[in-house]
Amino acid sequence: MTASPPSGFRAFLSSVGRVFSVFFRQGRKARRTRFFVLFSFLPVAVSLVIKFNQVFSGKPGREGGYLFTNLIMLFYLQMIILILALFYGTSVCSEEVEGRTLPYLITRPVPKAAIVLGKYAAYTAVMIGMVTLGLIFSFLVLNVDRLLDPSLYGLVARYLGVLILGLMAYGAFFTFLGSSLKRSIFFGLLFSFGWENVIQYFPGSTQRLAIAHYLKSFLPATSSGRFSFLTFRLEPTRPGVALLMLFAIAAAFLALACLFFSRKEYSLED
Amino acid sequence: MTAVIETSKLSKWYGNVLGLSDVSLEIEPGVTGLLGPNGAGKSTFLKLITGQIKPSIGTVRIFDQKVQNNQALFSRIGFCPEHDSFYEEMTGWAFLTSLLKLQGFSGSEIRSRAEEALDIVDLSADKDRLIRAYSRGMRQRLKFAQAIAHDPEVVILDEPLSGLDPLGKRKLIRLIKAYREEGKTVIVSSHVLPEIEALTRSIILIHQGKVFAKGDIHYIRDLIESHPHMVSVRCADPRGLAGQLLGEEYVLMVHFGPDGKSVLVETNNRDKFFALLLSLLVKNRIEVEEITSPDDNLQAVFDYLVGK
Repeated sequence: MTASPPSGFRAFLSSVGRVFSVFFRQGRKARRTRFFVLFSFLPVAVSLVIKFNQVFSGKPGREGGYLFTNLIMLFYLQMIILILALFYGTSVCSEEVEGRTLPYLITRPVPKAAIVLGKYAAYTAVMIGMVTLGLIFSFLVLNVDRLLDPSLYGLVARYLGVLILGLMAYGAFFTFLGSSLKRSIFFGLLFSFGWENVIQYFPGSTQRLAIAHYLKSFLPATSSGRFSFLTFRLEPTRPGVALLMLFAIAAAFLALACLFFSRKEYSLED
Repeated sequence: MTAVIETSKLSKWYGNVLGLSDVSLEIEPGVTGLLGPNGAGKSTFLKLITGQIKPSIGTVRIFDQKVQNNQALFSRIGFCPEHDSFYEEMTGWAFLTSLLKLQGFSGSEIRSRAEEALDIVDLSADKDRLIRAYSRGMRQRLKFAQAIAHDPEVVILDEPLSGLDPLGKRKLIRLIKAYREEGKTVIVSSHVLPEIEALTRSIILIHQGKVFAKGDIHYIRDLIESHPHMVSVRCADPRGLAGQLLGEEYVLMVHFGPDGKSVLVETNNRDKFFALLLSLLVKNRIEVEEITSPDDNLQAVFDYLVGK
């Protein structure tokens, strides 16, 4: 016999669902989403350039899988998911405060924590949509001559999973920043391109203080080639532990964001 | 009549700054005007009774229930914020239906309620336009629509008439009055006395975070009538006009503007003074450029009332 969840929890989930539905729709239609779709298609543009170069130069280039791996590493993991998670994550709370639309939400029969979780889920879904499209197009362009190779599809699924985990973990961290700090974008940039970019290359257990470390633990080690520096000094954590850590990071920062948002009294003055 | 909203010793401090101090009130159904100059504590009071902020001291109860973190109560309250802020990339329709969705209504109910609310505020024809393309009046009416769309029993409107042109004001006043007829509890804040006067006779005067008076609007009117008023008249013959005004006992003082083209008169009987002024202007065919009342605002009235 399975116990049904308490009605209070069901009501909370229903609130999260309603917030998700409103902001997923809004997030898809937002002007910034159009800009970020273009941004997340940067690797597609690079893939096209590489492919055209291969075709028109007549020289056999690196195989598609190799280039695909490096594109993923370079563009998505090191830049695109960070930027997307930064702008969407911090905006979960701060756009309501800065846009002074907060009263419309907090005077509804919806718990404040449900607002945070619903918006976070909606924006994460929007980001996942963008990244998935870009990733698949890049894959198709670079592997157009090897589309029948089933191992490649496993590779795409693996990278997509890593990127989704990255968006979830970074998104939760930036949601927390947006709920607690005024200049969250500035501190988010410092974290993304300062802390994350430095700490992940530290030897020993220090690198485990970076989210990027757990994400890279899912990737095959690149010991040679131009982009091998990206996994330089990586002492990977076992995938099961890395997965747990990423979920724990996301859950912890979301809980903190909910706590801040529920308790803090935001000033909407000019 | 039973009080719908009750506050007891309600106080709010923002750090060292006093927002509201020791406010104990009972508000009954009907329209209640919350009147006070800018920064008096009106918005703080409204935020406290809508659970947006927590009181430092004291309690708020609506329908005899606590407000803080009582989400179920929020479906019985409609709030129209002061700020002219929206999800600008939404259409009026999307804005209303989104907020109704958060209220927990089903799809068909959302549509019917949104249509009804837009119809009430006369925005049905513009429902598919982006909010950023709306005029100020349309935006104010949309804010009002979102406050009433879920048919709440208590409607709280923070400066709903601010920034509207006279026609827009008249439209919104008509809407609020119509809502009052349904027996709801409506609280309207404003810093402009005639706006409140057009809506209700029941007012709460708030100043420097404290409730200064509560009761019938005639009470404050009487206080204001005894308050000396300054009236500036810019005309072709200010000295001639001043000469004829000086004989009246309700004219307390006369000053001339530095350019010699205006006269500033202090009176303790505004009605009699304006009646005389108009008759003199017509009788002597004096061409008037402008008549203004430099102290005709609540701050001046309150300063006078509190003896500053």
